Amino acid sequence: MRTIALTCIALLTLISCGSNEPKPIKINTDSCDFCKMTIANGQFGAELITKKGRYYKFDDLACMVQFAKSNTVVPYQSFFVNDYLKDNTLIPAETAHFIKGGKINSPMRGNLAAFSSAKEQAEFGQKLEAQPTTWSEVYNAYK
Amino acid sequence: MKNLVYILFFFCLISNAKTITVGKSYPVKTIKQALAMATDGDTIIVTKGIYKEGNIIIDKKIAFLGKQYPILDGQNKAEVLSIAADSVVVKGFKIINSGHAALDDPCGIKVYDRSFVSIENNILDNNFFGIYLQNCKNSLVKNNSIKAYGKQEQLIGNGIHCWKSEQLQIIGNRISGHRDGIYFEFVTQSVIWRNISNHNIRYGLHFMFSNDDSYITNVFKGNGAGVAVMFTKNVKMFNNYFEENWGDSAYGLLLKEIADSYIFNNRFARNTSGIYMEGTSRIKVEKNVFEANGWGMKIQASCMENEIVNNNYVGNTFDISTNGSLVLNTFNSNYWDKYEGYDLNKDGIGDVPYHPLSLFAVLTENNPSAMILFRSFMITLLDKSEKVLPSITPDNFIDNTPLMKSLPL
Repeated sequence: MRTIALTCIALLTLISCGSNEPKPIKINTDSCDFCKMTIANGQFGAELITKKGRYYKFDDLACMVQFAKSNTVVPYQSFFVNDYLKDNTLIPAETAHFIKGGKINSPMRGNLAAFSSAKEQAEFGQKLEAQPTTWSEVYNAYK
Repeated sequence: MKNLVYILFFFCLISNAKTITVGKSYPVKTIKQALAMATDGDTIIVTKGIYKEGNIIIDKKIAFLGKQYPILDGQNKAEVLSIAADSVVVKGFKIINSGHAALDDPCGIKVYDRSFVSIENNILDNNFFGIYLQNCKNSLVKNNSIKAYGKQEQLIGNGIHCWKSEQLQIIGNRISGHRDGIYFEFVTQSVIWRNISNHNIRYGLHFMFSNDDSYITNVFKGNGAGVAVMFTKNVKMFNNYFEENWGDSAYGLLLKEIADSYIFNNRFARNTSGIYMEGTSRIKVEKNVFEANGWGMKIQASCMENEIVNNNYVGNTFDISTNGSLVLNTFNSNYWDKYEGYDLNKDGIGDVPYHPLSLFAVLTENNPSAMILFRSFMITLLDKSEKVLPSITPDNFIDNTPLMKSLPL
């Protein structure tokens, strides 16, 4: 009986380590791991997971990219960004559609917004006078 | 004779400016009507009552005065008062229920690209943003009471939000329940004086990219964190109270990437950390009181050339903490209540240097869960031996002239 329980715990631990699901950001409670500000806006937040399974949360995409660039030794597993239209919902950065600049007002002046579809990207790009951009461009914009 | 002509001319000017009174018992019933009639230099007096007129836009140089706090209700739809003229005075209104949105920022009062505007003695209640100054110069925000009811999960704007402005005076306001009490972004040469910013969700006061400002004699109590000064130069911080800013990521004062500033005569009481510094350089911290905080100061290894002189450290769990072994800051002539040295020549200065960094503070900085061992016998023993012969803590982290008595601050 005890061995079964132990195996179960071990298995659970293993599974939870390998998971690639983002942890939800707690608005007004969690703080940004790069700029130390309390995350107060569910439109611009971001999160990254390292290969070891550690989570880092950010209040701005720029913070996440700068954080990732400043710790080059750590292997990262995945990047997530908040969907601009759905309050505090994280979507994978690789598949997200970005716009940059214009009237976007993000907490640390990264001024990037992410959308889950290209249609929304075009619509809000026009509304906010912002330029469309891609994840690789965003990631390579910072040293 | 010449004088008389001048005086006559002056009276002509005065008689040109008219006063329009708005109210139920007056010919002019609505504010918008009065605004349409007004010309530059006029005064509009609004008498007591509730005015639901949507977005009111003031685009003439007028004085807009409320008598017995008339209520301007935005009905949760619109921005209440927009100012688009120089030299406008807004006084004595109660402004409630502005719209609530995410794309644009509806406000109680918003000033667009103007100078010499003054906003005084208003009550703002339940607005998304309270007062918003955008691209303004030489303006005054005084004695307003600003309140909102932001919940933890909800998006809420700032109390007084200033963006790309210069020479502002923010005086004597009371702000609570907003995201940041006062927010400065790209604001220069401004002063924040005698405000009370309590129980806001994020910060009491927040600086971003704002140089050459000062904040004096304010109270920041019970906010998510007291004050954050970030990416800024030349800020003077005098006589402020930072109290009861508790929480996991809360600080009395958060300094990040700031330089050439002066922190003088403040009181940090009962915060998680009194001051947290990161990437901070050439700052003087003088004559402050650090009382009953979890950590008096956290100075990260990325800080350089800071001077910490003549402060009182009383009743903190840890006085100082840091995360590296590099010390490029100086500590001199502070009073530390944990100092156990002696003073044989009676000059008021301890004869043995004091190491303010306790071993345990360093351990928990790298490994927070080690906190569970705090106040255990072994740790106390290690701490004591570390004080005599530093091995893990940086040995140049030292106050050579610790004071025997606390400074009368």
